[in-house]
Amino acid sequence: MGKILCATRGGEASIRTQNAAINKARETASELIFFYVYDVEFMAHAKYALRSDVVTDEMERMAEFLMSMAVERAKEQGINAHYTIRQGRFVDELAAAAEEEQATLVILGRPEEENVFKLEHLRELTERLQTETGIPFCIMPDHLTDQSI
Amino acid sequence: MSKLFRTKNPASYLALVLILGLWLARQIQPPPVALASGRGVAGHVFDGQGEPVIDADLKLYINKEDRPVAKTRSQPDGAYLLVLPEAQTASYVRVEVERPHFKLHVWTPDGAEFAALLEEDTFVTHDIIMERRIVASFWITAAIFIGMLAIIATERLHNTVAALLAMVLIFGVSLLGEIFSPDLFIFTFDQAIEYVDFEVIFLLLGMMIVIGVIEETGIFQWLAFQAYRLSRGKVWLLSMILMSITAIASALLDNVTTMLLITPIILEIALAAGINPLSLVLPALLSANVGGLATLVGTPVNIMIGSFVGLDFNDFVVHLTPGVLMALLGLMVFVQLRYWKEYHTVGGGLSPALMKQLEENGRIRDPLKLRKGGIVFGVLLLLFVLGEPLHLPPTISAIAGAVAMLLWVNPDIREMMSVVDWTTLVFFIGLFVVVGAVQEVGILAVIADGIVGMVGTSLMASLLSIVWIAALLSGMIDNIPFAAAMLPIVKLLTRIIPGAESNVLYYGLAIGADLGGNSSLIGSSANLVVAGITERAGYRITFRKFLKVGIPAMAITTAIGSLWLIIHFI
Repeated sequence: MGKILCATRGGEASIRTQNAAINKARETASELIFFYVYDVEFMAHAKYALRSDVVTDEMERMAEFLMSMAVERAKEQGINAHYTIRQGRFVDELAAAAEEEQATLVILGRPEEENVFKLEHLRELTERLQTETGIPFCIMPDHLTDQSI
Repeated sequence: MSKLFRTKNPASYLALVLILGLWLARQIQPPPVALASGRGVAGHVFDGQGEPVIDADLKLYINKEDRPVAKTRSQPDGAYLLVLPEAQTASYVRVEVERPHFKLHVWTPDGAEFAALLEEDTFVTHDIIMERRIVASFWITAAIFIGMLAIIATERLHNTVAALLAMVLIFGVSLLGEIFSPDLFIFTFDQAIEYVDFEVIFLLLGMMIVIGVIEETGIFQWLAFQAYRLSRGKVWLLSMILMSITAIASALLDNVTTMLLITPIILEIALAAGINPLSLVLPALLSANVGGLATLVGTPVNIMIGSFVGLDFNDFVVHLTPGVLMALLGLMVFVQLRYWKEYHTVGGGLSPALMKQLEENGRIRDPLKLRKGGIVFGVLLLLFVLGEPLHLPPTISAIAGAVAMLLWVNPDIREMMSVVDWTTLVFFIGLFVVVGAVQEVGILAVIADGIVGMVGTSLMASLLSIVWIAALLSGMIDNIPFAAAMLPIVKLLTRIIPGAESNVLYYGLAIGADLGGNSSLIGSSANLVVAGITERAGYRITFRKFLKVGIPAMAITTAIGSLWLIIHFI
């Protein structure tokens, strides 16, 4: 039995990725973990009173809510899933979580057209992380059919 | 001249004689007379825009001697008094007025004035008007200021670092450059510090502490959840209530803090209602940017304007709040039309578990702190309102509020000091010095002359120009340095333009600078903060996506704001 780590957020594109990960977990009878990373770098734009602790708490709560929705979505489709939330740099945290959770596959969402971070950048990143961790990474839905756990 | 001698025209000879006669008349000195000690010359020194010239060096010379017999410096209102230290016998008197960035001005009394000088203890001269001199420091300061704005706009450096860098460059040019050329001198350190508005710094400091306590109570999140409950599934109503909440919270506290804390729960509520979160978040954000305009403490721009002009809390409430309410109404109509489809699409509900989680996220975190903090904040608002009759400036009220929070609500001084955003306060200090340099070398006077040249003395044309130029520029550059630079310009225009003494142009600047922030994603800190949060939730607000909603929102609210000022003042 494998373990799928699905890096996700909460938007419509993320829901597509979550559904694909749910399907993959069902097909391969794998354990599914939704993974969310946040940071509060946007606070650098603020020019006024800031409570980084309060904002971090709010981001944590929002993350829990979004991940709970993903877990419910999986449950509705008959898949038991759970989630893990981290604060920090996405790439570092993703690599660390994949190794700590002993994931057998890491799924990343395909970036939308309007994203600054393009598909080719994501492909480069997944190849690098795959080499570093020895864990297969795939972008949904492009690579899913090519990859196996 | 040689051509003149060659001419046979008698009129030319007559003109030559006349000129020579006038020149001789100036050279012939009256007989020496006695000037008693204690006798003096007084008056005022102004620049071309009628602004008092402060710290101008005035020297009194008699009998064409090289050493002055009396020296003084002009006061903040431009006044001066030159007093003879001892009795003198004079046949000729002259006063020289010197000031960096101005041409040397020499005043000599004519015959009648000289006679009056003998008779009166203190002879008051007519106003001395000094002419600006554009030298190297003018262009260098302009380049540094524009460079600072560009660095801030492109985010190459943090705002505070950009302002400090500009300040260091200004001092470097002024103090080191002066060694090589006096034309590089801008101002001394002491003169620079005079430009720092400590009322703004302390008001911001006090409000930061007050807001810091309120932030951790969970009031914003609770209000948002109550809005969700109250709307009973009607998303259009939910949007209106959320817009009202963010507008009021921004008016009384701060729009960035409001949006920072309320955006995550609005996202959750939108997902609960089954709609795209941006259709609730963006209206709430636009509304927060509008709401901040309503009061003195709503935005840093308002705080700067209030301190510069001496406007109190009630001035903003009387002259701006009704216009803001009208603009909000216009914004709500626009939002309802813009998001009609989203608001009337039936979405999916939440499972009981998720609903419980949402309810938990929307609860008051610290009821005791909220109760105490609420009382302190209520009293603070009362002090703001009653400040004028009690001769209590808003800055003192805010500091008193902060101290009350420290004494009664959260006595952990270290924690509360960590709440203060010191980088912002340092940014303001650097900014005031840089804008002071811009003012000192005469750049703002040149711009003010240009504006008067364009719009004349028409109050309506000036008001609309200020409002719309400020609104358009605030979408592109940081509105704080822009407003700081505009304040002395608006001051000049207020004095020159008939009817502007009501301070309408300052309110116009507030409307333009504050509402202009809605026009683009980079127009306001709150926009960038919200974009950061929504992106982390998987809902990206692109520059173009924001423009589609922001430009019409800015146009509608600014038009309504302008209309309000015209109705109210003109």
